[in-house]
Amino acid sequence: MEESTSLVCNLGILEKLNDNSIQEIIKSYGGFCTTTESLLNGAGDLSVGPEFVLHVHSLCKHGLQSLVCDHFLLSLEQAFEKIGVTNFWRHFDSYSKVGVLQKNNSSIYDDEVQLVLCKALEEMALEKQYQEKCLFMLVHALQLHKESMFEGKQNADSERAHLFAKYQLMVSSVLMASLPLHFPDILHRYFKGKLEELSRIMDGDLEGKNEFQDKDSMDLDEKGKHRTGEMDIDESYNHGKFSEKNKLVKHIGKVVRDLRSLGFTSMTENAYASAIFSLLKAKVHNLAGEDYRNSVLESIKGWIKVVPLQFLNALLAYLGDSIGYDTPSSGLKSPLASHLSSCSSEIDTPSEGLIRWQLRLEYFAYETLQDLRIAKLFEIIVDYPESSPAIEDLKQCLEYTGQHSKLVESFISALKYRLLTAGASTNDILHQYVSTIKALRTIDPTGVFLEAVGEPIRDYLRGRKDTIKCIVTMLTDGTGGNPNGSANTGDSLLEELNRDEENQEIAGIDDDFNSDDKQAWINAACWEPDPVEADPLKGSRNRRKVDILGMIVSIIGSKDQLVNEYRVMLAEKLLNKSDYDIDSEIRTLELLKIHFGESSMQKCEIMLNDLIDSKRTNTNIKLTAAKQSQTGAELGEDAVSLDILDATIISSNFWPPMQIWHLWHVLEAQGASRHHSMWFPEFQDEALIVPEPVDKLFSDYAKRFNEIKTPRKLLWKKNLGTVKLELQFDDRTTLYTVAPLHAAIIMQFQEQKSWTSKNLAAAVGVPEDVLNRRINFWISKGILSESVGTDSNDHIYTLVEGMVDSSKNGGNSGSCEELLVGDDEGESTVASVEDQIRNEMTVYEKFILGMLTNFGSMALDRIHNTLKMFCVADPPYDKSLQQLQSFLSGLVSEEKLELRDGMYFLKK
Amino acid sequence: MILFRWHAVASWTWDAQDETCGICRMAFDGCCPDCKLPGDDCPLIWGACNHAFHLHCILKWVNSQTPQAHCPMCRREWQFKG
Repeated sequence: MEESTSLVCNLGILEKLNDNSIQEIIKSYGGFCTTTESLLNGAGDLSVGPEFVLHVHSLCKHGLQSLVCDHFLLSLEQAFEKIGVTNFWRHFDSYSKVGVLQKNNSSIYDDEVQLVLCKALEEMALEKQYQEKCLFMLVHALQLHKESMFEGKQNADSERAHLFAKYQLMVSSVLMASLPLHFPDILHRYFKGKLEELSRIMDGDLEGKNEFQDKDSMDLDEKGKHRTGEMDIDESYNHGKFSEKNKLVKHIGKVVRDLRSLGFTSMTENAYASAIFSLLKAKVHNLAGEDYRNSVLESIKGWIKVVPLQFLNALLAYLGDSIGYDTPSSGLKSPLASHLSSCSSEIDTPSEGLIRWQLRLEYFAYETLQDLRIAKLFEIIVDYPESSPAIEDLKQCLEYTGQHSKLVESFISALKYRLLTAGASTNDILHQYVSTIKALRTIDPTGVFLEAVGEPIRDYLRGRKDTIKCIVTMLTDGTGGNPNGSANTGDSLLEELNRDEENQEIAGIDDDFNSDDKQAWINAACWEPDPVEADPLKGSRNRRKVDILGMIVSIIGSKDQLVNEYRVMLAEKLLNKSDYDIDSEIRTLELLKIHFGESSMQKCEIMLNDLIDSKRTNTNIKLTAAKQSQTGAELGEDAVSLDILDATIISSNFWPPMQIWHLWHVLEAQGASRHHSMWFPEFQDEALIVPEPVDKLFSDYAKRFNEIKTPRKLLWKKNLGTVKLELQFDDRTTLYTVAPLHAAIIMQFQEQKSWTSKNLAAAVGVPEDVLNRRINFWISKGILSESVGTDSNDHIYTLVEGMVDSSKNGGNSGSCEELLVGDDEGESTVASVEDQIRNEMTVYEKFILGMLTNFGSMALDRIHNTLKMFCVADPPYDKSLQQLQSFLSGLVSEEKLELRDGMYFLKK
Repeated sequence: MILFRWHAVASWTWDAQDETCGICRMAFDGCCPDCKLPGDDCPLIWGACNHAFHLHCILKWVNSQTPQAHCPMCRREWQFKG
């Protein structure tokens, strides 16, 4: 509507026009155009001003005011585009490749960029100032006209504001339209350079202060004398720093203001924000680095307060009211403000904008540090107890950012890449697992993420054969776990766990038995829901306490398996003991009892008890023997007294199976082929024949035992135990600790210097191949020598008399050679759990082969189920799927079966 | 050659004709269900009929069989073998 009325009005004016006025209009329009031209293009020449005003006036008289404004703005725009913009951008042309050059010699460029930017901005400001002056002239002219027309001031201010806004818009749109691509980059670099400078000044400032404080505390006694002088110096020094900093901030502030006036507000803000962030990032990386032994979070926070926040504070203060939201808001304190009540002494009333900035920066710092730590979490956990400050940092960061899932993902992939590989030893994996549990427990007490992280490790460990053994060793070995008593002072994992447990238990008791209502209320009030990621299938109650032992046992599957493995290891350890010293074993057993219950450790307890009993019986027997020899010295001539014989007497039902040789002999009698021995570890086949005098000792000992413990008798396990013996030659004596078999072999050479292997095997009562293998021990020591006899299958062993190659042992008399029986060629006195299972599994071999003949091919679980169904009695099938699988793969490697696509076939 | 010390290993066993106790069906070399430690703590005892049992087992049996107890194996009157 308004438009149409003005149109009518204009038409009215048109009618009124006469030749004169047309003439006048044409003339003044021409004058207006030329004066405009000269005003805008003339370099600072305002002399045409009065003429310009006159023309404007006359044009306005004819109602052509809008035409005047439009034309003036248009020509202003053209002039700006022509002179200002091109000139302005030309400054930066040479830096169009800054992005490429950024990496090398950036500092030189930075300085140049700073200079150029300042210069360009200054020029631009001058140009703009001039144009604004021109614009102001127009406004002034228009105003004059209005005043003359209406005899009074009428919304002149709004007119002016309108024109200037239009101009401002024009300026920024022209600049934006012609913006070169690299300009934001230049801005970024400028701010980065300036910020770095500022941070250097600030750092210097801090150091200065610290120095001063140090000095202050150091010569406290001299304080009185020098105090005033020092203070003066320091103040002036600080003052200098302060003014320097102020100057810098002011300088930056000016640049920012100039940029803003050109309409680059958001770009500027982006530029200095990104500069601050990149500086912060560099700082975090610099501080955090590869050092996990110190907490860096606080110093980063401190740095944020000192450098970027101070800068922003100064900048915002300098820019003052020009931006709306960061006006000093002492009146309207946002809820955020409570965060930084004591932010910095120099910031009196932190503005809302500043608080926003602080929160942004801190979040960014947390995130950066968190990312940094997560990426290195594997290394951090490797040296866990030392790196706990880093863990603490990470915990705080995660509390802030809540990006736990990032941690889980990255850590799992690191684990898979670096730990769960064939090259890593099971022990290392287990240790890392334990450290992971401990570390993640501090980060996340609820254990939700630990579950996620632990799963792949557990799965992997289940696939390893020696896992159980390593776990048991790790749990039980520690103080004095080594029978040689080497200086191993580290506590076993179990003891450590026990200590933890006790601490937790105390807390737990508090938790459970608080009858105090008030306490109950407090507990209820601080209940927290489980994290979102928690698996709802698992109750939250048991998640409370992260049970390291439980997590380790869960690798194995059941505690029974673990206990069984421990029993085997314990048996081996006990049988190789020659002093009845079992203190450390008792201690370990007590600890295990706490964790696994008394009943499951029953057999182990009996084993230990056997040793204690053996010791007592042994001394008893020795006493009776001593008495007899005093009274009637009957065995005088044999020279071997009962004193040298000690015995460990075991309750064989409660020890893990170790003597299957009876079975072996039965099989041999039935003509079983020799290769069956793979199911019967060969050591157990040996019915050792000990030399005559020793055998006599054995029977004497057994007789005495029978006398003391009447209806009980002894059954010797002659191949078990340890023998200490000394070999004396002409030039040397050597002490050995060996297995009974080795002793039996070497003792045969006392009477006869040379033996064929066949005869020797018969003499000591072991199969020939076993003998040939075992005798290597003496050959390697240079005691015996081997030569091929008349029959090519028959070896001849001869005692080496004159030691030629004795240098190997350091040769001379008295050198002590210790050999742990268990270490010899990997032989084991006790059938390992695996072997036991294999032995038990052989019963089912026939079933399996029969099944496969009938069905052709079967999958693993089908075999498992069928066995379960049919083998219900004598002996019932009670093996796990895994055990079956390992047995079947044994059969496959024996080439009895074939495995294709998960199906088992009979090998044809 | 001098032997210093021979530390041998042996197992003990009850010199009984049977393997397991006729009452609790546990091995003689083991212990009765009430005991934890075998051997001296859970001895065997022979009756006049030469049947052996865990001491604890047969005592329980004898005490429950009033006035006259019989051997669980051969139903003869139970008498401890002197």
